[in-house]
Amino acid sequence: MARLNLFNKFLNSGPLLLLYYLSISEIDTNLEKTFDIFTFNLPIIIIYFWILKRPLIMGTGHIFVAGLINDVVMGFPLGISSLSYLVVCFFSNYVRNKSVNTTIASDWFTFFIALIFANLLFFSLLNNFSDIVISYSKISYNTFFTLFLFPIFWLLFSLYQANFIGGQDA
Amino acid sequence: MSVSRDDFSIAFRSALLQRGGAQKFSILSLIILAIFIFFLDVYGFTGIKTARSFINDVVFRVSYIASSPSRILPSAGKGLTSHFNLKEENEKLREVIENYKSLDLNLEYLTNENKNLRKVLNAENIINSKDIVLAKVLVDRNSPFLKTIIINKGTQSGIKKGMPVTQNNYLVGRIVDTNYLSSRVLLLTDLNSRIPVTLDGDSSQAILTGSGTKNPKLEYLPEEYEFKEDINVFASGKERIFIPGTPIGKTTEIGEVKLYVDPNQLSFVTVILTRNNKEKF
Repeated sequence: MARLNLFNKFLNSGPLLLLYYLSISEIDTNLEKTFDIFTFNLPIIIIYFWILKRPLIMGTGHIFVAGLINDVVMGFPLGISSLSYLVVCFFSNYVRNKSVNTTIASDWFTFFIALIFANLLFFSLLNNFSDIVISYSKISYNTFFTLFLFPIFWLLFSLYQANFIGGQDA
Repeated sequence: MSVSRDDFSIAFRSALLQRGGAQKFSILSLIILAIFIFFLDVYGFTGIKTARSFINDVVFRVSYIASSPSRILPSAGKGLTSHFNLKEENEKLREVIENYKSLDLNLEYLTNENKNLRKVLNAENIINSKDIVLAKVLVDRNSPFLKTIIINKGTQSGIKKGMPVTQNNYLVGRIVDTNYLSSRVLLLTDLNSRIPVTLDGDSSQAILTGSGTKNPKLEYLPEEYEFKEDINVFASGKERIFIPGTPIGKTTEIGEVKLYVDPNQLSFVTVILTRNNKEKF
């Protein structure tokens, strides 16, 4: 029984572990080697979906730390990824508070707004307070593919939620 | 109308300030903390620099361990394939050895010639084995925005910002960030990379600019310069950071440089401890 509880806890922590793993490991969602322009931001999709559906499994403190780790690994100024993740977190929290029943279409639309604000904050801070130069076309591709792939991950995460976490939406 | 405004403000406040369950901290407090850390880091506060250096060393090593499955799995697959192609590999290796033998015969003559020519040119940056540090690539995260790698040597080994990094004597990039036990290398392909170079043949001077893609571009060439294929590009050393004559790559017809070293395939690199110890950045 205790072993089963531990296994359930592990499954519940799956999205959080994935977020940490994406922040810390070399494995990322950038397939430039195979497809030149294909990059997307999976951590933002994870944060938005799970804060919206299951806020209990993803604490804001963890999101903040994951952002800091991501900054260290990527070489960005400390705190910038955390800020962008927290903006997504805020939008997700707000949508959860305002809506009773959400659909994939409504989530996709609100995710678009969250993504735009998060990326706008991220790149305007980077542009104004750092010497790092970033290609605007890469930002656009990244934003587009993140938005484009959201429904696919929405379905995958919903399946994960239904099979391994269970229960009603938040 | 006022009810909907109340709803908005309640939902807004709740989203910012709500705590409980897994949410140990409110989003507002964490946003303020993130902004605080960001500005401390951007304006180079000494305390945060030291903390960052320490965090970098720890995180890079954890990252190296965490990424090991992604490195082991492809190499295990390659190992298995090569096991079945041993005979073919053996023949290839014999060919390579023969090739090296013939190259070795010329090496002594070329070394002496090189030494004499350097004396004639009175070159300042003649390096010896004591001036280089061999380093292993810890993290090679293929970010869409920054093309950098992390190596396992830092200030402890005498590495400083601005030092050139090579592989097999080909220029790879330069050190842009140092910690006690690790350093970050900005690759030539990064958008932030600018290097003065000399082109073989007519010795034209140019700036090699990273474009974020696989091949960096040549800029500020003489007017009406016509691009030709397969012209060797070397570091000019005019900025007194890179060793003059370090080979970089070959030109293409469209004004790009095809690098001798694939920046996605780096495992070990060499940091050249240039004598000009003054930090460049």
